[in-house]
Amino acid sequence: MRRTVAVLILVGLVGLASVSTFAATKLEVIWMGWPKDKVDVLIDGFKKANPGIEVDMQLIPFAQLFQTLEVRLPSGGTPDVYIVDGPLTPSYAARNFLLPLDGYFTAEELKAWFPASLETGRYKGKLYSIPYATSSAGLFFNKAVFRKYGVPFPPEEPGKRLTWEEVAALARKLTIDENGDGQVDVWGFMFEQIDRPYQLLPLVQSKGAQAIGPDGLTTDGYINSDKFVEVATFYSKFFNEWKVSPQGIPDAAKSREYFGNGKAAMMLGAEWNISRLADFKGLEFGLSSHPYFAGGKAVTPTGSWHVGVNSKTTKKDAAIKFLKYITGHEAAVEWTKLFGHAPARPGVYDALPEVFGNPMWQTLFYEMNNTAVPRPVTPGYLEYELILRETFNSIHYGADPRTSLESAAKRIDRELRKYR
Amino acid sequence: MNSAGHKRQNRGVSRLGTVFLLCVLTVVALVYLIPLCWTVASALRPASSLYEYANPLTWRTFVPDRVTLANLQNIFVNLGFGRALANSFIVAVASIVLGVAVNSMAGFALAKFQFPGKGLLFFMVLITFMVPFEAIVIPLYLVVSRLGIINSYYALILPAVGNGLAIFLFKQFFEEVPSELLEAARVDGASWMRIFWGIVMPLSMPVVVSVVVMLFMFQWNALFWPLVAAHSSQYQMVQVAVATHVTAEEAHWANLFSSALAASLPPMLLFLFLQKYYVRGISNTGFK
Amino acid sequence: MFRDTKAALVFILPAFVFIGLFKIWPIVLSFGESFTFTSITGAKTFVGLENYGYLFTEDPVFWGSVKTTVLYSLMINPLTVAAALGLALLFNRKARYTGFFRTLSFLPSAISMSVVAVVWGIILDPYYGLANSMLRMVGLAPQPFLTSSTQALMCLAAISLWRSAGYWMMFFLAGLQGIPHEIYEAADIDGASGLQKTFRITLPLLTRTTSFVLVANTAFNFLTFAPVYILTKGGPRGSTNLLMYESFKSAFVNLDIGRATAISSILLVIILLIAVVELRLTRASFDY
Repeated sequence: MRRTVAVLILVGLVGLASVSTFAATKLEVIWMGWPKDKVDVLIDGFKKANPGIEVDMQLIPFAQLFQTLEVRLPSGGTPDVYIVDGPLTPSYAARNFLLPLDGYFTAEELKAWFPASLETGRYKGKLYSIPYATSSAGLFFNKAVFRKYGVPFPPEEPGKRLTWEEVAALARKLTIDENGDGQVDVWGFMFEQIDRPYQLLPLVQSKGAQAIGPDGLTTDGYINSDKFVEVATFYSKFFNEWKVSPQGIPDAAKSREYFGNGKAAMMLGAEWNISRLADFKGLEFGLSSHPYFAGGKAVTPTGSWHVGVNSKTTKKDAAIKFLKYITGHEAAVEWTKLFGHAPARPGVYDALPEVFGNPMWQTLFYEMNNTAVPRPVTPGYLEYELILRETFNSIHYGADPRTSLESAAKRIDRELRKYR
Repeated sequence: MNSAGHKRQNRGVSRLGTVFLLCVLTVVALVYLIPLCWTVASALRPASSLYEYANPLTWRTFVPDRVTLANLQNIFVNLGFGRALANSFIVAVASIVLGVAVNSMAGFALAKFQFPGKGLLFFMVLITFMVPFEAIVIPLYLVVSRLGIINSYYALILPAVGNGLAIFLFKQFFEEVPSELLEAARVDGASWMRIFWGIVMPLSMPVVVSVVVMLFMFQWNALFWPLVAAHSSQYQMVQVAVATHVTAEEAHWANLFSSALAASLPPMLLFLFLQKYYVRGISNTGFK
Repeated sequence: MFRDTKAALVFILPAFVFIGLFKIWPIVLSFGESFTFTSITGAKTFVGLENYGYLFTEDPVFWGSVKTTVLYSLMINPLTVAAALGLALLFNRKARYTGFFRTLSFLPSAISMSVVAVVWGIILDPYYGLANSMLRMVGLAPQPFLTSSTQALMCLAAISLWRSAGYWMMFFLAGLQGIPHEIYEAADIDGASGLQKTFRITLPLLTRTTSFVLVANTAFNFLTFAPVYILTKGGPRGSTNLLMYESFKSAFVNLDIGRATAISSILLVIILLIAVVELRLTRASFDY
């Protein structure tokens, strides 16, 4: 009896395994773990246009995405196409995980993307990844809270912005304990991403500090420079001295819950909030341009997901075809409608006036064209980001900025040695 | 019936005991129910924001004012959650059938036989569950690739069959089976296989149940290995499907909670069904 | 003990084919990596004990992480074993409520880690969480929980306890089934009280199960990684930076396989040493 069951199951397994080995060309694509129904819609057009090519979209949860790539990329020819976090392009390119794409795109075709976005896909003069989306950020504010406490709105015209000192002053005014129970009911200000370099480096760069040395492999003398430390100290005050920002709200989804539920007056957030925040019933919000430091220059973050082709793929033609489709105009339009990311193709902005006619998008569009600064170009961005992120996290909990950054520089530089 | 007489003797103690027991049960229930109710309520109410019901705290936090199955329907109809459930189920059942067979046999050998190299083998059994999976995932991926079974159900099932914890558990349990019983069967001319499957295993249902649940949970909760070893979307397993509702930019709370609820039902039902094998209670001495 | 080497090998071989291929061999490969440096092109060079030397003498976070890991294990291991044993004793009786309670306490282990993290994140939210709402309701001061470097590790332990006590209870329930009832009957005749029976009979006769749960649980907790990764990322200020999380970061983010495997090898040695002590301690009372 027992043996029969085992044999039956084994036979069943053989059957199941053999079903999977058919199809003419089957592309394996590693994609972000976005909702399956939306991703299906996205690739429908490709499937219709290319009946000979089957696309296997492997949706990897964000928390496991990078480690999955680290196991799979070194050991073989699949995936054929994969999503690349823009600043990781040099890391994959340096390790020969990405196919150089220069020969596959004409100069004319390449004009369809923002030049700054394309730049993120280049490493040592070669193009390795095509931008799928870009991003920008600004200061979201809750109009009801401002009105209730008689504080005038921050400027909403594109390019007109508060200084960080003004933001801090407003935040102190708008951190409110409504019923006097010692518990803050409205926080003056929050960072959507409390510790990610993506959101925090623009502050540093606004002060005129460098995020990394010109060789892309040295941080000592840069992330522990006086200006960098000065900005990190300013950042720390939000949480530890003025106490106008909540500590330990680690991810974007949760920060948005705070802001969306009226528990924060202002939030420095990325462009996707324009569509996400619309889900909160009764929330009336505005968007002011990204703040800057008095005497410094305006800097905004940019860059997002790219797409690349595995250098070891055996299905190069189909892979390139898919890459061109997924980063092309139609797919970008479709995706923007579904998800609200900022497209990396200027043409999409014209094609979707119903979305981008919103004055908030005009503000962001202005930033992308005038103030966007990409993240540091280094093959060690994985390591750089992790350690810097841990450091900002410690600082937001009250660790001394200078000693934390000194130690971070030491750790990052040790990790970056392997790229020298 | 001995226990009846025993109860009569201790009536005074027992009333105090009942009050104490009730207090303990209440605390245990609250500790488990508060987070669970909140999870279930979040899965069953119309999509809302995370803090909407968490603060301020009312009874609505735990009991939805409007129950909807729309979230559940969405994950099954639009997000292909049924497929993921089926995959996990196939993988779990196959791992259980093979796993119980080979691990129980190994546990028996370690418990009842003396042979050269036994100490070394037991040492190997121990280290298999003392090394973190993350540390061996890259070499394991290479081994599975070389065998040519990457991206198949085999890649999900076969590495989970040999389980050091299960062998260890079986060994501990079989040591308590009296050797005289086996000796007698040997004298009667039974083969070792016959003794094992005919006498030892039927005596060991509680531990078999524990191993079944253990292997089931191991596969049911698997997340990282399925992502790398059986990467095609057709093999997507249940925890992967749950985790995709948290992305870099946002979390789809309604999908997340309803898929987690759906994913927790099979292990719960399995446990509910199998726990009838844990029946011989201390106060219940009526049968033998 | 039987001395039938041939039979023993037949019994042990199937499991060791699986374990050898999918566990031992990858472990050996991984252990080998800890003596190498992997360059960015994937080329490996033998560096002897350099990775270990760096960890012991220069690494700025290693010793802090060792301390945190040991502290965490000292908190969580006895707690989990005691809670699991307590639940098993409490629910190993034939009463109408036991089925419900067993399932209830088992349920958390069936819920996806990503959801457990979200649920407990909300409960322990320092500003608007359920736990603080309750504290305030009874007039106590709100606590920072996961956002405090003195409380975060304890909170992780509490969450882990909540998630796994019911799971380990299952093994104790299985062990309790193996205790011969005649022994209780004899004790009843001698007029032993419930507590006496628990300490004089149940616990001594449960040592094999206890030593299994103790060893398995030790390994399990030393290798804790997912809750840290999802809930605290090692913070606040490194207070939850468990070794396994350090190893994970080294392997998959810092692309430093040498350091990662050196850490997991050190973990293995620590766990083995503790396991040997635990096995010795519980062996003393084995035979009855």
